[in-house]
Amino acid sequence: MADVAAHLPGVWEQIRLVAGLRWRILGNKLRKKHNQWDLLGMIVAGVFATLAILGISVGYGFGAYAFLSGGHEAWIALLFWGVFLFWQLFPIFTAGFGVGFEFRNLLRFPLSLRAFYVIGLAYGLADFAAVASVCWLLAMTIGATVANSSVLPAMLAISTLFLLMNITLERMIGSWLERILARRRAREMFFALFILFAVSVQFINPLVQRYGRTAQPWVRQVVPYLTVFPPSLAGRAIAGAAQHNFTDTLVGAAGISAYVLLFSVFLWLRFATQYRGEELSESAAPARSVVRPVSRTAEQADALRLLTPQVAAVLRKEFRYLTRNSFAFFLLIMPPVFVLLFTTQFAGRHPTAMKHPVSTEFFFPGMMAYLLLILMAPAYNSFAYDGKGIQTFFTAPVSFREVFLGKNLLQAGMLAFELTLSMVAFSYLVGLPSLPVLLATLAAIIFNVTGQMTIANWSSLSFPRKLNFGQMRGQRQSGMAVLVSFGTQILLGGISAPILFISRWTGDKWLPAEVFAFLAAVAIAGYSSSLNPLAALAEKKKESLIDALSR
Amino acid sequence: MTDAAIVTQKLTRRFGNLTAVDGVDLTVAAGQFFGFLGPNGAGKSTTIKMLTGLLAPSSGRAELLGLDFAAHPVEVKRQIGVVPEGMGLFERLTGAEYLQFVGRMYGLDRPTTQRRSEELLDFMQLSDRPKTLIADYSHGMQKKLALAAAVIHGPRILFLDEPFEGVDALAAGALKALLGRMTERGVTIFLTSHVLEIVERLCSHVAIIHKGRLVAQGSLDELRAGIAGEEGSKTTLEQIFLSIVGQDGGQRPQLEELSWLM
Repeated sequence: MADVAAHLPGVWEQIRLVAGLRWRILGNKLRKKHNQWDLLGMIVAGVFATLAILGISVGYGFGAYAFLSGGHEAWIALLFWGVFLFWQLFPIFTAGFGVGFEFRNLLRFPLSLRAFYVIGLAYGLADFAAVASVCWLLAMTIGATVANSSVLPAMLAISTLFLLMNITLERMIGSWLERILARRRAREMFFALFILFAVSVQFINPLVQRYGRTAQPWVRQVVPYLTVFPPSLAGRAIAGAAQHNFTDTLVGAAGISAYVLLFSVFLWLRFATQYRGEELSESAAPARSVVRPVSRTAEQADALRLLTPQVAAVLRKEFRYLTRNSFAFFLLIMPPVFVLLFTTQFAGRHPTAMKHPVSTEFFFPGMMAYLLLILMAPAYNSFAYDGKGIQTFFTAPVSFREVFLGKNLLQAGMLAFELTLSMVAFSYLVGLPSLPVLLATLAAIIFNVTGQMTIANWSSLSFPRKLNFGQMRGQRQSGMAVLVSFGTQILLGGISAPILFISRWTGDKWLPAEVFAFLAAVAIAGYSSSLNPLAALAEKKKESLIDALSR
Repeated sequence: MTDAAIVTQKLTRRFGNLTAVDGVDLTVAAGQFFGFLGPNGAGKSTTIKMLTGLLAPSSGRAELLGLDFAAHPVEVKRQIGVVPEGMGLFERLTGAEYLQFVGRMYGLDRPTTQRRSEELLDFMQLSDRPKTLIADYSHGMQKKLALAAAVIHGPRILFLDEPFEGVDALAAGALKALLGRMTERGVTIFLTSHVLEIVERLCSHVAIIHKGRLVAQGSLDELRAGIAGEEGSKTTLEQIFLSIVGQDGGQRPQLEELSWLM
């Protein structure tokens, strides 16, 4: 008969074990050779984060002091709102993009539901947002006490209730997010919404400038409804304590306590569902057999018949990957949106950011260069999303020349589409530049893209880094690939600048177009002759490539 | 059927100080169903990777269908099919899209690729989810798709690294029948598996690799002849395997150390 332990460890011992496990995992991860740069990055990020938390803490402390000593006690609610929004939103944006089942994995151990709940809450306190928020609440308590020492007991009590409410709510939201984001499609949709949000934020300033005044009455109507939310209740309780209006303090405290109770009940029910065993599988449910429609694709003429079957196959695969990758797909939407944004801010008849618009002769080439900077970046790690599929390129009877041709053709097609779209938007908003500048820009684009592709192909073989679809957490390009990308941009910019300078100096408007056309021809020839050496390099690098992408 | 499909001479692969495959001389005749066995970390997958172009040997040579792999990689790859370790699938394609991609990479024309893809998806019972991405397939479904992709171009040699792992019994039965028919038609199958019963049932010839070195090679009967089994009973592959691999003492864990479990 096997022996089992007579007693289980207590809740606090289990929390200690879980914390130790997390620490060991982090340590082992950083011990790997290629993660030593990550350690340095973490140290730098840690120093900056600490400085940021301390700096903002000073702001919170000073704010609490100023509001209470200046007779604006009710305004302290604004500080509670700041803490509340950060505590609830920051974890969503940082942790919501990956699959994080570590906490649920604890269920394989003999834990009681109570222990599972307490460990869940403790997990919430170890979050960056929670640590920062606790620091800010402490700073507010110090600031308020310095201004009015009689509020200290109320500050301590309300801050504790506020902290409990925030942890419980954050864990509840996190737990629901975990359930929703367990499915790949939901994760990608979430990621797409995040990108959309990030792009939309860019328009806030122009919108506020245009509609700010007309929106003010609407904002005033909304504000009273916010008083029933926890941060406003916390502010009311502290203001009451400062003004010796203890009814307000009691109402505020009771309100937050009610929220704590409500969220605790919901979180308990949620954790109980997890505890009983919840299905979060990625696999689709068994499907019923269906009658397969007669395939028609074989009868249709092949739109890519001018290419070899292998190049056409890679091109089709790349196109399908592009349309199924929410991040890459939204990258395609962003450039024309930014052209629109920058054009309204800096060019056109009524720029919002400047008194006088920038000349189209300068603005147009500048915008095209900016677009290339964004759109060419993924080419420097072009196998990133292939994952284990990279093995197919090596087991199939093809040369990497064909693989690169397929990939580069898709990149070139996508660039052509994006640049055309942006040029149409540009010409509609501010008009096109003069013919010499337009032709010089087009020739420079061909020179730049072909030159970059040659170097980007080399970079993709030399510094591969696997990236996952629809995921943001832990998604980083290789540092060397980023350096190569920047270096290439600087080099090509360095070649272009003297050409433009000599043109202005000599007054020859057509000189840049002629020189860039020559350089484009040289770049195309260079690209063409680079494909065979790159195929040989792929054969040499195949082990490191497969290893990096199959992890 | 006496022509050699696979011949290796002193095939060696080193990773730093570790020699994963050490001077392996292997001969597999055309049309053989060949089982390649060994304990974990013995060098099976490394050998398969060198024979399929996924890994370059440190020294030695491999000849497939009479062609030197190093000198004619594309011509050799055209005639072999592979289910590599980890399957090597493009997970953001559907099953049909992946098979069409692979068919075209092996130079099949579009109508042939289309027809074969549909037949293979039907055979593997994967045709009922035409829009499901491979990323959403179960492990067993991915394995069946990888097998379908390995045979779509009608290879003359098929390399299978743990092909039945995660595949349900029904599909495994159909696959075994398919592989058996392929060998009858002259296709050479080179298979690794940890399930010795499968190897014993399917393979006519076996090689055992241990610590990077080939320690046994021959038909099952030849290997049985070299082992003294119980009188009156047929020696199983498991007994052969254990007697060869477990010879150097201390290989099998000592159960006495886990007395608290018993």
